[in-house]
Amino acid sequence: MVGAQKNFYFSVTASIIGFMVAIQFQTVSEPVNRDTRDTWELRNDLMGEKELQSELLQEIRMVEDTLTKYESEREMSKGELLKETLEELKIEAGMSDVSGPGIILTLQSAMNELGREVPMSYVSPSLLQRLINELNMYGALHISIDGQRVINTTVIRDIGTVTKIDGHSLNNLPFKIKVITKDSEEAEKLLKRIEISDIVEDFFVDNLQVMINKPEEDIEIPGYQDTIRIRYMEPVE
Amino acid sequence: MWLPLMGLVIGVIIGLLTDIRIPPEYSNYLSIAILAALDTLFGGIRAQLQNIYDEKVFVSGFFFNILLAASLAFLGVHLGVDLYLAAVFAFGVRLFQNIAVIRRILLTKWTSNGEK
Repeated sequence: MVGAQKNFYFSVTASIIGFMVAIQFQTVSEPVNRDTRDTWELRNDLMGEKELQSELLQEIRMVEDTLTKYESEREMSKGELLKETLEELKIEAGMSDVSGPGIILTLQSAMNELGREVPMSYVSPSLLQRLINELNMYGALHISIDGQRVINTTVIRDIGTVTKIDGHSLNNLPFKIKVITKDSEEAEKLLKRIEISDIVEDFFVDNLQVMINKPEEDIEIPGYQDTIRIRYMEPVE
Repeated sequence: MWLPLMGLVIGVIIGLLTDIRIPPEYSNYLSIAILAALDTLFGGIRAQLQNIYDEKVFVSGFFFNILLAASLAFLGVHLGVDLYLAAVFAFGVRLFQNIAVIRRILLTKWTSNGEK
């Protein structure tokens, strides 16, 4: 009985030792096949690996190239988008030249009964403002007066005795008022409405005659030349 | 007599079958543990042959020696001194002594048996 117990302990101990030995053996004898390549073979193998490496490097470079291409494309498209928006905003603000269908009004001195031109009378700013308001009401998109673009911040006032539009003097008659509308149909409508408007008579009171020309297909209006100064506007936080 | 050998073989088979691999940096500890275990085993055999075998001494010695040897190796690694060599030396000497004693005992037994 005692011997059996002894044997049991010995067996357990021996099995533990065997287990440890086996593990150690496995751990130590990890490289089962020895490396028996000579220098030349090693060299060849090294060359193969190097080729692989260079291939991989090439691949990496290609992928990186694609990446940068994509990045730059994205940047470009962003820039393009910004440019487009800028153009749109410029057109809307009146900074760029525009062309399109519209009509041309010519303001000139009225003839008196004798068929002579009355001496130059000055163009009242309030009349001009009314004219612009009416044009805008009737569907004008872009207006220029004597080559001077009318934008949202355009000021028309008389300084001294001269009417000035954004600092440009309107002292030699006749001058042209160009109006661009959305399309030729709109231009036609605008023409009709101006013809029946009181504004022409109002101008006549000031000895001025408004010649209304036929709608034209292609009228060019220059952009606003000065910089637009914004004083009372801030971006929203 | 055959049971311990069977145990050894079974242990080896289990170890090979489980396919356990310890990291190479720990193989030092395992080797010294094996040495300690072998030392205890042969010590136990000798004690039995000399009839001074004690179960508690054997079992406690087995685990204690393994732990001591491993911790000595661990300490050596951290102190930068190859302390496990001390364990290897101690256990190696003890192993040889034990085996020598076992051999002599077996020899005397064999010769006495032969004389009878």
